[in-house]
Amino acid sequence: MDRRLFIKLLSQGAFVSYGLLKCPVLGWSESAFDLALEGQDLIQKKDFPKAIKALQEAVRIDPKSDWAFGLLGRAHLGLDQKAEAVAAFRQAVRLNPSDTYSRMMIEITTQKPIPRLAKKEKPLTDLEKEAIHEEEEMLKKLHAEKGLDYKVKRVVIDAGHGGFDPGAVGQKGLKEKEVTLDLALKLHERLAREGKIKSFLTRTGDYYIPLSARTVTANQFQADLFISIHINANKNRQPSGSETYFCSEKASSAEAEKVAALENSVLKYDESYKKKQGYIDIEEILFKFEQNLNWSESGEFAKAFQERFKKRLPLKSRGVHSANFYVLRRAKMPAILLETGFISNPDDEAMLEQPAFREKIVDAVARGLA
Amino acid sequence: MRIRGQGSGIRGEYIFLAIMLFFCCSTVVAAADVNELIFQGADYHYKGNLEKAVSSFEQAVKLDPENEYAHNQLGILYGKKDEFDKAFREFLTVADIDRQNTFAFLWLGILNLRKGEMNQAFEMFNKIIQIDPNSADGYYFLGTIYNFRRNPVMAIEYLKKARNADSGEADTHFRLAKAFHNADMIANALLEYNKTLEIKPSYTKALNEIGWIYYNTGKKEAAIDQWKKTLKINSKDSDAVLNLAKVYNDFAWDAFTSGGRKDALKYWQKTLNINPDNKAAKYYIEKYGSGK
Repeated sequence: MDRRLFIKLLSQGAFVSYGLLKCPVLGWSESAFDLALEGQDLIQKKDFPKAIKALQEAVRIDPKSDWAFGLLGRAHLGLDQKAEAVAAFRQAVRLNPSDTYSRMMIEITTQKPIPRLAKKEKPLTDLEKEAIHEEEEMLKKLHAEKGLDYKVKRVVIDAGHGGFDPGAVGQKGLKEKEVTLDLALKLHERLAREGKIKSFLTRTGDYYIPLSARTVTANQFQADLFISIHINANKNRQPSGSETYFCSEKASSAEAEKVAALENSVLKYDESYKKKQGYIDIEEILFKFEQNLNWSESGEFAKAFQERFKKRLPLKSRGVHSANFYVLRRAKMPAILLETGFISNPDDEAMLEQPAFREKIVDAVARGLA
Repeated sequence: MRIRGQGSGIRGEYIFLAIMLFFCCSTVVAAADVNELIFQGADYHYKGNLEKAVSSFEQAVKLDPENEYAHNQLGILYGKKDEFDKAFREFLTVADIDRQNTFAFLWLGILNLRKGEMNQAFEMFNKIIQIDPNSADGYYFLGTIYNFRRNPVMAIEYLKKARNADSGEADTHFRLAKAFHNADMIANALLEYNKTLEIKPSYTKALNEIGWIYYNTGKKEAAIDQWKKTLKINSKDSDAVLNLAKVYNDFAWDAFTSGGRKDALKYWQKTLNINPDNKAAKYYIEKYGSGK
């Protein structure tokens, strides 16, 4: 029997024997129940201080009595002790999630500011002591920067293809996987020399890494930006130049859409969002917000890099494009894909073979990060 | 994240009318009718009957246009029905009635986030902490936005305030852990991820991140255990699957390049056991397996 129903029936005279109240099958400690009943009576008489005393004793004896906690909340409210009232109502709801009265009182009371309850101090654990020391040390080095500008302090550099997947191969035999690895290693060294941005590589040698593992690396190192380096190719040897891609819901061109569709078909673990009916999922709102923010930031980075390529590379700028690339979508940070030339174009291939040209590409990317 | 007001509802027989009159009623005109409608609306809301709840609260605000609670409930209900513009207007109405109603500002902020309006959302959450310097929700969202902007110092400052105002929220500990993690404060990150799991043991994102802390600090087996724990909770957790696949492939490649072909094959097989479509593991098993 629900405790409140019991009280209701009691008020309607359904139970007349006090002896029945003490019935052990009801599962209450006799004195806790008596005290709660006394508390209820005192609330009705508006003697809130005494009600609080009785109800505090009731919940001490029976800490599982949601009914007593609910009453305690009411008694505190009678004295305008909102923080204490909310704490008691919250405990009532924890013990009995269907205690809708207590839930409603929390909602009404917390619509506006309420004072804070004092906290009990506990002795620190070893990890807590270490954390305090670490925080003191780190905050000496870090300084707060207000404003909502995006900050890049660590980058994951992805050398496209590798191992059994050579990527595109030029007329003279230049392999995309070799150029991308060389560019990635050079960029990594450059950033290490400059010391402002930490960088990490998805691969350091000639081996294959699945697409999914590349963004896993970015997530592994809490990267602020994921840069995937590729060299373009086309069946027609004419096209040349550089272009930059980023992830977006809609493709910027039919060609970009085709490329993205091809890449997306290989992955199976994307969890589709299942909307719960009659519920506003705040964390889902935050997730979507973060994703859109990252994509829009990716667009900004893409523009900045492409601008550098246009100014610093002897290559035609083919602009910025976007599509729903799975490899970029899985990244939990802004992510871009660079296509620094066409290996299928004989002139571009010849330039890509030259170390000096590769240095120019690395310089343009590093400056784009600055 | 605790957001008040989403599960509202009451059963009439439990209501103490006098208290409700005190809290809900902004005018004495038709107070009894208004409160009856509010009780009714809240009851329908709790039972999931959104249409009837909306109808009750709409009638209530007709009788008492300044009733903040009824407008806030309507905002939540419209939101649940995906009528976000109407929801926004209800919260704006409350904010106009009372500039201290932090609940309305909170939802205005959240709905701005939903629209992708970061600066407006930020402004709303800032208003909340100006009105109520103890608002865990206000600090939580501000800290979260700073996290999204990769500004861990500011994120830590705000999320610590959120945690100190209300330490019972798993999401607050998790996002604070992420901010510490992003600032390379590993002990703090670990502490907060652990607190996340104390509150919600099934918080797989925290398990996965702890895995990377272990892995990046050389405790590779402990890292694997973390991701396996995640898979026990959710066998399809894509992060745990792909993390394991990546590290098994890394182990395999390391073993292979040091001449341990047998060990390498064992790890590639482990990759395939959890990620059967893994192209790298498939290729290398095909190439180097079966005594080839």
